[in-house]
Amino acid sequence: MTGPTLAALLAQAAPLAAGVIVLLGLRGRGRAAAGVAIAGLAVSVAASVWLVAAVAIPDRSLLAQTVFLPVDASHALAFGVLLDPLSTVMALVVATITLAVMVYSTGYMRGDPGFARYYGFLALFGWAMQGLVLSANLLQTLVFWELVGLASFLLIGFWFDRPAPAAAARKAFLMTRVGDVGFLLGVLLLIRALGLATIPDVIAAAGAGGGLSPRLVTVTAALLLMGVIGKSAQGPLFTWLPDAMEGPTPVSALLHSATMVAAGVYLVARLHPLFLAAPAVMHALLYLALATALATATMAMVASDIKRVLAYSTISQLGYMLMALAAGSRAAGFFHLTTHAGFKALLFLSAGIFIHHAHSNEMREINERGALAQRAGVIGLVAGSAALAGIIPFSGYFSKEAILGALGVAAGGWVVALAYLGAGLTAYYTFRMVFLTLVPDARTHGRTDAPTHGAADAPTLGGNGGERAMNWTVQVLAALTLVLGYLGPWLGARLSPGEAEHGPFAIGLGAATALALVAAGIGLAWYEFGRRGAARIGFAERIPALARFFGDNWYLDRLYRATVIRWASALSRAARWNDQRIVDGATDGLANGAVGGGRLLALVQNGYVQAYLAVVVTLIAVLAAVLSRIGGVR
Amino acid sequence: MMPPAGYLTISVALFCIGLYGLVQRRSLIAMLIALELMLAAASLNVVALTTLAAGAADGGGARQIGAGHASSVGQVVALILIGVAAAEAAIALSLFVAIQRYASTINVEDLSELKG
Repeated sequence: MTGPTLAALLAQAAPLAAGVIVLLGLRGRGRAAAGVAIAGLAVSVAASVWLVAAVAIPDRSLLAQTVFLPVDASHALAFGVLLDPLSTVMALVVATITLAVMVYSTGYMRGDPGFARYYGFLALFGWAMQGLVLSANLLQTLVFWELVGLASFLLIGFWFDRPAPAAAARKAFLMTRVGDVGFLLGVLLLIRALGLATIPDVIAAAGAGGGLSPRLVTVTAALLLMGVIGKSAQGPLFTWLPDAMEGPTPVSALLHSATMVAAGVYLVARLHPLFLAAPAVMHALLYLALATALATATMAMVASDIKRVLAYSTISQLGYMLMALAAGSRAAGFFHLTTHAGFKALLFLSAGIFIHHAHSNEMREINERGALAQRAGVIGLVAGSAALAGIIPFSGYFSKEAILGALGVAAGGWVVALAYLGAGLTAYYTFRMVFLTLVPDARTHGRTDAPTHGAADAPTLGGNGGERAMNWTVQVLAALTLVLGYLGPWLGARLSPGEAEHGPFAIGLGAATALALVAAGIGLAWYEFGRRGAARIGFAERIPALARFFGDNWYLDRLYRATVIRWASALSRAARWNDQRIVDGATDGLANGAVGGGRLLALVQNGYVQAYLAVVVTLIAVLAAVLSRIGGVR
Repeated sequence: MMPPAGYLTISVALFCIGLYGLVQRRSLIAMLIALELMLAAASLNVVALTTLAAGAADGGGARQIGAGHASSVGQVVALILIGVAAAEAAIALSLFVAIQRYASTINVEDLSELKG
């Protein structure tokens, strides 16, 4: 084994070992658990850094695999690691954000009774995500994909003794599972057609002159895309993500914004040539992602819970990434994934600081309880929002610019126009959040110590302690938002070599338009929420019907309840009836019949020995009479 | 000399009396006595039939009991049966004593625990 392969194995093994040790041996010892988990992830980060240095910087591509499962005489499924700039950079992003969240959580989760369990789950998630990123085989990817889903389930439902997180965990698990059925079918179809699922071979087979027919490629791409839609919360399957915010805030930062939900985007980037070979699917994805990005932006405009705003913005930004990929630019999509991981983790962790102190997710309540006193949180929230809105020179600006540029090259006029509109909406809802959270409301100012109401995020927390770890993490991530934006050309050269270069400061007409729209969005937000004496009610909230529509996930959950869930419930009720009446009825009837027959026959056994004797004698007499009649036994 | 049919008739009568007693009497000891009657009927049957068979084998010449070889076999069997009956009575009576100690009765109508 070569050095990079060993490093890739180490990057996966360290979090796994940490997770197993914590969950099996250190359940009752929080500090030791946190130490072991952080050490495991630190090893993983170090290995990932080494991988980036050894693989991504020289722009190499390595495939190391070992035969695991023979399909038939000539084919076999080989499991291993696939190392190239895409996977190693993603591995570094995942490991870094996981480590940052773990360090942050030493403060945020302090005093929670499940502290050690929390770290065990986080380490397991780190392992699953690294395995997903580095896997060389689609079947292997699927295995880790499901493990990531399991970690998500466990972490959303971390406070499982409360009904809302338990329900949210179940919803997330089931909804992503809908998409995963497609993923599984797609992988099986590929294995049936090719006899293997190794990613480079699949890509080669999907290309021109490969072993796959265009129709099969289209079907496979569409099926795989189902998994992407579920995991990356797109299209009709996104409503699990806002509910997933019931989990602890650092979990939202890690899984439900920065890394796990990006797995779908990563998969599309990983198999980009396969998807490009199915232009119809890519077209559909472009429109789906655009619709999702715009729809969730409107939902973010009316949400009053800071984590829900961030959740909707995550879905929206994932839509942007998928749009870039669908338009054919792997570099732009992945670039935005990288910068987004940084600034969205930052935003959630800053929000976590406020929630930690205000004991509420509601932006207005956070504001009333003195949000401005949390310096690190303010810095983080402003820097992250600037990046999310796409203000130059924060990282989000560069990556969003790259996406809009790629769309301008590849997509039609109105798609681009809507994408620009979405950028303006992003700026509006982002700064609505900033103003609502940070700018003191003139009308309620001076009213201190508001009574506690609303959903407190973590009732077990004391509100004090652990600030150092939290503030430190947030400040490091805030600094990163100023740096990550300059990665674009470096990534572009490695991921899409032939593509037109989007220089960091190449302000053309497109960039100017985007900046103008962003400025307009921020201006509107300032007018409605930020300025002295503002009404602090957005234009969408003024129309009750619209506010309800946007605030209720566009009634999608109601639609699901009225259709799919109802049908499924009816089906399961019918199945239950069948089970209880028909299947159980048959066996119960048999058993009852046997028991009843036994009872009836038992009456013969009356316990009087002379009665038995009489029966015996009578029967022998009858037998003798019959035998003498027919002439004996023959 | 009685013809064998007379012995057999007596044997049947004894058997039926014994059976009637076995079924009708409720005391275990009375039932045992009835059972002894049935055994005696069986023994008488054996002796009578072996005598008849010995007579048939001798071509009707030897009619006297004990004259033939085969009839003495019947008598030996009858003696063995009497021994068996004695042994059986010993075992049964000791069982009755045990039952009497356990249930304080030897009335079979009260000994009906083994019902379904």
